[in-house]
Amino acid sequence: MRYLIIISLFLSSVFASEADDIIKKLDNNMRGESVYMKISMNIKSLRHERTIKMQTWSKGKDKSFVKITYPPRERGITFLSLDNEMYNYIPKIERTIKIPPSMMLQNWMGSDISNDDMVKQSSIVDDYDAKIIKKDGSIVTIELTAKENAPVVWGKIISKIDTTHYTGVEDTFYDEYGEKIRIFSYGDVKKFGKYYIPTVWKIQPVSKKNNLTTMIVEDAKYDEEISDQYFKKSALKRFSR
Amino acid sequence: MYKTILHLAIKNALLRKTRAALLIFMIGASMSFMLSLEGLYDGMTKNMIDMNLRSESGEISIYAKEYRLKQDIRYSIKNAAKIKEDLAQIGSINSVVSRFKVSGLIASAKKSYPSDLIGVDFKAEEEFGKISEFIKKGDLNLGKNGCAVGKELAKNLKLRLNSKIIFTTQDANKNIKSKLLRVKAVIQTTNINIDNKAIFIDIDSVRNFVGVDHGSATQISIRSQDKNLEQKLKAQYPKLDVLTFAQINPLLKQMQDMTVVFNTISFSIVMGVVFIGILGVMYVSILERIREFGIMSAVGYSYSNIRLQVILESLFLAILGFLLGSVLSLVSLYYLNSYGLDLKEFADGMQSFGMSSVIYADIKIEYFVRTFYAIVFASIISVFLPLKKIKKLNPVDVIKAES
Amino acid sequence: MFELALKNILFYKGRSLTTFLLTFISATFFVVYVAFLDGSHESMLKNSLKVYTGSMQIYQKDYRDEGGYDYLIYDNKKIFDILENVDGVYAYTSRLETYGIASSKSESSAMMISGVDFKKESKISELKNALVDGVYQSTQNCLYMGQDLAKKLDVYLHSEVSFVGNAIDYSFAADIFKVCGIFKTGMYEFDSSSAFLNREYFDDLFYSHNTSSYIAVTVDDLSQNNYLAQSISKKLPKDIRLYTWQELMSEMVEAMKVDSIFGYISISLLFFVIFFVILIYGFINISARIKEFGTLKSIGISDTQIDKLLFLEVFIITMVALSLSAIIGGYCAYYFEINPIVMEGMSEMYKDYGIISDEIPTVFDLFTIFWNLSVILFLNLLSVLYPIYYVRKFSPIEAMRHV
Repeated sequence: MRYLIIISLFLSSVFASEADDIIKKLDNNMRGESVYMKISMNIKSLRHERTIKMQTWSKGKDKSFVKITYPPRERGITFLSLDNEMYNYIPKIERTIKIPPSMMLQNWMGSDISNDDMVKQSSIVDDYDAKIIKKDGSIVTIELTAKENAPVVWGKIISKIDTTHYTGVEDTFYDEYGEKIRIFSYGDVKKFGKYYIPTVWKIQPVSKKNNLTTMIVEDAKYDEEISDQYFKKSALKRFSR
Repeated sequence: MYKTILHLAIKNALLRKTRAALLIFMIGASMSFMLSLEGLYDGMTKNMIDMNLRSESGEISIYAKEYRLKQDIRYSIKNAAKIKEDLAQIGSINSVVSRFKVSGLIASAKKSYPSDLIGVDFKAEEEFGKISEFIKKGDLNLGKNGCAVGKELAKNLKLRLNSKIIFTTQDANKNIKSKLLRVKAVIQTTNINIDNKAIFIDIDSVRNFVGVDHGSATQISIRSQDKNLEQKLKAQYPKLDVLTFAQINPLLKQMQDMTVVFNTISFSIVMGVVFIGILGVMYVSILERIREFGIMSAVGYSYSNIRLQVILESLFLAILGFLLGSVLSLVSLYYLNSYGLDLKEFADGMQSFGMSSVIYADIKIEYFVRTFYAIVFASIISVFLPLKKIKKLNPVDVIKAES
Repeated sequence: MFELALKNILFYKGRSLTTFLLTFISATFFVVYVAFLDGSHESMLKNSLKVYTGSMQIYQKDYRDEGGYDYLIYDNKKIFDILENVDGVYAYTSRLETYGIASSKSESSAMMISGVDFKKESKISELKNALVDGVYQSTQNCLYMGQDLAKKLDVYLHSEVSFVGNAIDYSFAADIFKVCGIFKTGMYEFDSSSAFLNREYFDDLFYSHNTSSYIAVTVDDLSQNNYLAQSISKKLPKDIRLYTWQELMSEMVEAMKVDSIFGYISISLLFFVIFFVILIYGFINISARIKEFGTLKSIGISDTQIDKLLFLEVFIITMVALSLSAIIGGYCAYYFEINPIVMEGMSEMYKDYGIISDEIPTVFDLFTIFWNLSVILFLNLLSVLYPIYYVRKFSPIEAMRHV
């Protein structure tokens, strides 16, 4: 009896660390040491559809800088995420604002992801306990349960990952009562340098059937030198043009 | 002699049984109806004020200047711990609590809402205002990350016990911070500020979260019956805002005043009508027996004896009425005090105005004492007119006249 | 019978006069009291509705649950055309409400900015009257801002405020506004988060031409509101819904019901006591006339006819008193409806409860007066039941022998 317990504990810890491992590899793929991406985002809602294009620079887990390049009306708008804070510069009014707590859960640029999502990209590894629940060929399904003290609203995330190149396939977000709230699906994996990432990301809120946000990675450059200048507040205005 | 008069008075009072019964019943029923209403109204305002005193302001609250206007943690009382110590020295103060409130946003997976995170010392709050009585669900064993949430807030966010919520705000350095909390209790105070917005957790957790000193607080509340305390504290802490309950809640104070006025007016009117009732009965009863009084006069019965007898008659009936009224009132008030008047059909409306849906009556000795004096007074005055008639009597004329 | 009743009334002056006076006073008091009670409710209602809500609001049917930009009214003109052709509609206006971040030099805060037609608003809401500084009807990028929001942002007249939000198509909407006017309605929630922009400029910025979050409507006569609501609803397109103020402000409606209930209970205390006094006086009077009834019975007048006589006596007195009450009470209700009593400073005190005027109005309503007086008539007739029963107990001989 005791052997069984010890063995299962051992196995689950192996699995657990394997799960952590997979997540870490996935994260690494997305982020590298630093990454520059060119992304186009199509936002569909009940009555409107629009496309925006942006360039993003990220370094490590806590710093990222985004510049909108299209449409012309919104060209030059920049966002800076530093730790938990988000700043926003709008060239039309030449003002920088810091997003207050009350707006953090608002949608970013009208899409189905929130400001908070943009800022907390890295928290998956820190805030969740990972456990493998299924293995189907190269597709591993991991259950991520929110840690006891983690300040995240989700109860759990079921993450399907293709271990061929450690790219995400689908993430389903559940609230703490087990209700599905939204689904991220990833496809069209491409190689950039030595990294693999899905280039088409779709975000679908479960309760709003007509909404869909689609992000297409048009280009990505990893581990190139990105100046620290991008991650200072002065960058917001400086790189807006 | 006096025994005879009393004997006569009682016999005469009960001569016309139905009439006497009607009068006694009228006094008794009116009195109990009136006292029940008075008790309910008093109970209603007393309850509202009590809830507010216990859940928020106490008799006196101290804030840093500008805090009430700006509601920002920048304006907090920095040396709150020391002030608390000093206040503990003042004998007339029953209980003191300090609280630290920070406003922000509370979010579940689906919804978010503005709310206030209020850090309190639960043990002290229990002594201050019996916070455990406000709990509608769960209990105050908060454990790690536990919190108590206002009832309306819980309803709006569809929270249950053990639900997870994230509170986000700006800390003392204006950085955005989030904190995970688990709902361990739901409280209802009928104080709108709390039920609709508040989340209670341990005060040190809030201070750590927000990054302020352990001696600071946004509010210090005091329970005390000392009327001079306000002046004393104002003088002692000129740089802080020292406010009384009436200054923080002028509307509630007004409500209390209006209830007193209303009760007094309705008391006067009802007693006035009761007076008319007693007057009518006594007047007729005396006039019917005017021959009798004439004979008594002729036989040597002094006027003052007659007067005493008549007054006693009236008093007797009135006091019987009072006794009946007291019994009925006590029963009614006791019931209303223990079980209350249940208006839960109108719960939503009442709660939006800060009233609970069950109203408990207050019982005061005053009610009975005041009514007693009024009834005695009414009964004595009511025989004035008929007595005048008797005084003017010429015994011979009376005996001769037809009754 | 009628003449006999009349004769008896005039003969037994004491009882008749008291009954008359008590009836008159209680009836007049009732009429005036209810007029004030209803008046205060209607005025509270009108005031809250007047401040911003209007008596009806028209939404796309999912908007109130979902919010956002997906469920707006996308064709104002269609609905305006419908409203234009409805008699009884006083005014209507389209509002587009959206949230964003407002920043001044030193502070930033969430703000609800609404695009409104200032001219139409002055007919529907109190926004114009709430002006405390600057200009109401401004053009271009002028903001009309709530006083508490201005304080929060630390801005004054002519200050610049930048705004970032979303246009209807979810693209970025950002601009720099100037504070041209400041208002205070007294409702803190409203004053601390709202600002208004003229519709032309707003539409250009947010791409919201011919679009609304909702359309607010007021009517000429509030009592016709439900009727109009029904007829308008029938004409609206299938995905558009109309909400009356009762649905929009259900809590206030309930609270007023409770207030009315308490009002009626309080006044019924008065009726209770008066009923008994009239009963007692009636009883005394009638029991003193037993001999008289005995005589009547012995000459062949039936019990039923005696009942009728007694009823008639009370009925006649009551009707005379009620007629007088109707005239005087009705006149008071009418007069004060037109020239309300003004209590200075009242609106300052009660702003939080939605009271914005210093007047205490009444409501003059014939139907209300009618049923008020009917209640009193009913009570009076009820009061003579027991005496009638008492008289019936006597056989003619017993009656004639009665002392």
